[in-house]
Amino acid sequence: MDESRPIFLQIAEQIENDIIDGITPEESQVPSTNEFAAFHRINPATAGKGVNLLVDAGILYKKRGIGMFVASGARERLIAQRRDHFATEFVQPLLAEAAKLGITTQQLAAMITKGASQ
Amino acid sequence: MTTIIEATKLSKIFGAFTAVNDVSFTIEENKIYGLLGRNGAGKTTIMQLLTGQDFPSGGTINVYGQSPVENAEVLSNVSFIKESQKYPDQFRAKHVFAAAPRFFAHWDQAFAEQLIAEFRVPLNRDIKKLSRGQVSAVGVIIGLASRAPITFFDEPYLGLDAVARQLFYDRLLEDYAEHPRTVILSTHLIDEVSDLLEHVILIDEGRIILDTDAEELRGSATTVVGRSADVAAFVEGRDILHRDGLGGLASVTVTGQLSPAERAAAIAAGLELAPVSLQQLIVRLSSLETSEGKNS
Amino acid sequence: MTATTATPTITPAPELSRIWNIVRLHLVNKQTFIGIPWIIVGGAWAVSMAIMLIVRASAGDADVIKAASGMTNSWAVLSPLWYMCAAGVLAIAQVFPFTLGFGVTRRDFYLGTSLLFALVSVGNSIGLATLTELEAVTNGWGIGAVMFQALFFKGGSWLANFFIFAVIQFGILFIGAAIAAIYMRWRVMGMLVFWLGLAALLVGIVALVTLSGSWPLVGEWFVAQGVIGVFAWALVPVAFAALTGYFILRRATPKN
Repeated sequence: MDESRPIFLQIAEQIENDIIDGITPEESQVPSTNEFAAFHRINPATAGKGVNLLVDAGILYKKRGIGMFVASGARERLIAQRRDHFATEFVQPLLAEAAKLGITTQQLAAMITKGASQ
Repeated sequence: MTTIIEATKLSKIFGAFTAVNDVSFTIEENKIYGLLGRNGAGKTTIMQLLTGQDFPSGGTINVYGQSPVENAEVLSNVSFIKESQKYPDQFRAKHVFAAAPRFFAHWDQAFAEQLIAEFRVPLNRDIKKLSRGQVSAVGVIIGLASRAPITFFDEPYLGLDAVARQLFYDRLLEDYAEHPRTVILSTHLIDEVSDLLEHVILIDEGRIILDTDAEELRGSATTVVGRSADVAAFVEGRDILHRDGLGGLASVTVTGQLSPAERAAAIAAGLELAPVSLQQLIVRLSSLETSEGKNS
Repeated sequence: MTATTATPTITPAPELSRIWNIVRLHLVNKQTFIGIPWIIVGGAWAVSMAIMLIVRASAGDADVIKAASGMTNSWAVLSPLWYMCAAGVLAIAQVFPFTLGFGVTRRDFYLGTSLLFALVSVGNSIGLATLTELEAVTNGWGIGAVMFQALFFKGGSWLANFFIFAVIQFGILFIGAAIAAIYMRWRVMGMLVFWLGLAALLVGIVALVTLSGSWPLVGEWFVAQGVIGVFAWALVPVAFAALTGYFILRRATPKN
């Protein structure tokens, strides 16, 4: 756990990553708050906050008496969200670093094409 | 939100020395609190005041809405474990564990026995002959197995080695998840316990510097690194926590969340943004208070 | 956001139960208040027996009688007292701070400890008075040895001896505890003030009695009171120690 960012956000991100990667398919059960807390050795209230964040966002839903489940359509929604942020999170830093090193946009495009074909 | 402890303008003076200086805070039920601060900051004194072991010089304390002093109704719900606990010479470890259940109504004997085995406490030895780690383990086991609705741990794990400390943190979290209770942990080993805490109260020289939710604290500061001039321009007008520099390089820690736009601006200016851990943040805040106190 | 105040989940055990828990706490290691005192008595008795056996074996009848009479002045019968004093002091010095950590109120602690002192004193006194009687009945354990039939116990009834034993033990325990309480509350400074004050008081009294030539009066008073009377009067300072001990401990803190 990264101590410099709120832990509940990191928990939420990990669950989201697992959903996107297909590790936790839609309509499958995610571990309980206590299980997350025990696994990461964090306060259960903090783990709960992360889970609740995803419940509020409609990514997870609660089945009374059983536990938390991945909502249908969650994966697509998450992918769409990540796509929106892709530009600011990955493209901008890439461009900034390339500019620092004096790599032109054409050279960059060539690198990307080359990397994709490998 | 249920308040379980409330301190109002609490103070404690020992002769010329003010150990606790006009301190006010509330503790809410069933959360894990960290009472953090340097050695001698006043953590132990505050805990002793909250448990009725010492008497306030000023201010009031309400536990369950009543004063805890000589109050059996309140104190039967409280356990106070401290690092420097001395046990009567005549006791062996087994005597302490035999006595405890009579004082803690929610004592879990099976849990205690599991912990005794895990911490490897020799039951039949005189307490005087136990190592410091073993004595600390006795205290820690009592605190955990007592299941007291309000459990204070005053740095009881200092004598424990790293393995035993991790065991304590693990068992505490597990038990707290199954059987919620109000836990107040004082320590100066911030990085070890930071993940356990829900709320942080930071004390320095008898005053409260910080009283916030732990998650709010995380990520509430950033270190800006880069060329001195660029850094200076970026941090203009912000609350500065700490300055550092090497040659033409400057490293300044600022408080306050940076918006995505601000972050982008920093990167564009060739600056690097580094995270600030809870421990670093608290150390900086404590130092700030001390140096400001000296200057004022 | 409205904040409500939590209510205690655990209700305390009834007062008598809590006080009894303190008694049991002091006795969790049986050696302290039961084992060791009786081992000391046993040891003193063994020594007394050995002395008499040696005298009988090596000397004539006249010497045996002299030895027996000498033994009536020995303090062996009170041998466990120094240890009991230490036990009383440690009950405050060590057990008190420990119980505070367990959420025990000072009041419950003091009442429980006082009850313990009473039970121990009475229990031991029953045993000691009975042994004294037994020694008389068996003519010195069959060999003329004297341990219990000594000092002020010689020739006394079981009840009288029981009373004296009890008063002595109550005194040792409560006075020791009260002094320990002074230390708990006022630490070194308290000790200095107490001992210097006590010394001054005693010197003052002795000076007063000496200067007014009242020693004969004092002697007469002791004789008039008799052994039982003197010990009955001794209960006054003991009760005073017991009472003040409570008030001193009420504001004591376990600073360590």
